[in-house]
Amino acid sequence: MAKIDLTPAFLIHRRAFKDTSLLLDFFTQEHGKIRLVGRGSRKSKAPIQMFQHIKISFSGKSDLKSLNDVEVDDQPRSLQGEALILGMYANELIARLLQDQDPYFELFEIYKQFINQLPKLGKQASYWALRLFENSLLSELGYGLDFEHDVNGDEIDTRIECKYEYQSQVGFTKRSIGKISGNTIQLMLAEDVLNTPNVEQLKVCRDLNRARLHPLLGNKPLQSRLLFWSKN
Amino acid sequence: MIESLNKAFCALPGVGKKTAQRFVYHLLERNREGGMNLAKALVDAMEHVKHCSSCRTLSEKDICNICANNNRTNTQLCVVETPTDIHAIEQSHIYKGKYFVLSGYLSPIDGIGASELGLDELEQKLHQQDIEEIILATNATIEGEVTAHYISNMAKQFEVRITRIAHGIPIGGELEYADINTIAHALSGRKDYDL
Ligand SMILES: [Zn+2]
Repeated sequence: MAKIDLTPAFLIHRRAFKDTSLLLDFFTQEHGKIRLVGRGSRKSKAPIQMFQHIKISFSGKSDLKSLNDVEVDDQPRSLQGEALILGMYANELIARLLQDQDPYFELFEIYKQFINQLPKLGKQASYWALRLFENSLLSELGYGLDFEHDVNGDEIDTRIECKYEYQSQVGFTKRSIGKISGNTIQLMLAEDVLNTPNVEQLKVCRDLNRARLHPLLGNKPLQSRLLFWSKN
Repeated sequence: MIESLNKAFCALPGVGKKTAQRFVYHLLERNREGGMNLAKALVDAMEHVKHCSSCRTLSEKDICNICANNNRTNTQLCVVETPTDIHAIEQSHIYKGKYFVLSGYLSPIDGIGASELGLDELEQKLHQQDIEEIILATNATIEGEVTAHYISNMAKQFEVRITRIAHGIPIGGELEYADINTIAHALSGRKDYDL
């Protein structure tokens, strides 16, 4: 790969590099996650914004390729408050879990949708959108779960009193002491944020996805969780 | 000796080997006195400048001049990323409150969390002092915004007005030359027009 012209991308992380440059991590449509050096980027008057659909050109043969050009292909989008933190969290998931320079076409579209709807959603709905994004990410990485059947192949009983337990990387087992109701498992099949679960169900889904992500993240927890202030 | 001086100059931002060499020859050949002054001033500053124990800015004294100034109100606290930001705000002569310096922004991915920014000290301050307003003057970058959001959540537990400095079109600037993000920000942060 010598020279790539105007490929669709999102900036997902940046940090200072030498005096005037930046190390930029992008999630691109055709080349997946890639790290580029933005030479002189720290002095730029119109710095590249995160959460904005852009097109980038880059080149170089070495491990560290250089960013040559950026075109904005989106309306301005300023994520604020909680939405911004959720966006940062999604970015860290991508930075941590995706293989370098491996394309994930579908996930790119899903991320784009997620970012697009984030500023328009209320608090609960935005958390739900993040859970659904996690579901897509896990599926793309080959860790999708069967939300319709339990580990024995029986259909999930979607009555609220029917409880299940999540067995790491295997699936759901019916157990009276389980914390996840069949009803909540069914919710995870959702493809859009139209029907937001209630607060209790959202918590169960959060814990479930945290358990699913845990083996992939290893001993290093997601750092963006620290962006949520909490009184300790 | 020349070589080690060369290397030493490279510690300055923006100074590479070539520039360092120019500095060295200039001082040795043309301005020994300037060089001596530089050396002395450097040693003095490196040995004696520390951080103000109240606002964390750079200071020769335990409490910096701004914090020690009784003519400034203690009820307003302006949170900035760097000591240079204080300098910039001070030049406008419009602000008469006190400051708090973070020395950076929140970036847990890079290992910079709340404690590195002294946010527990800030929380203590809000708890112990009679602060009526906290002004979040972190940069208009994603990182600055994330930091402002975190601090505002922390400050909510106290009875304090939380404000964020406005960002927008430069004074004397024309709309058509501003980038779209600035225009969008300026529009969403518009305020009532007082006649
Ligand atoms: Zn001070």
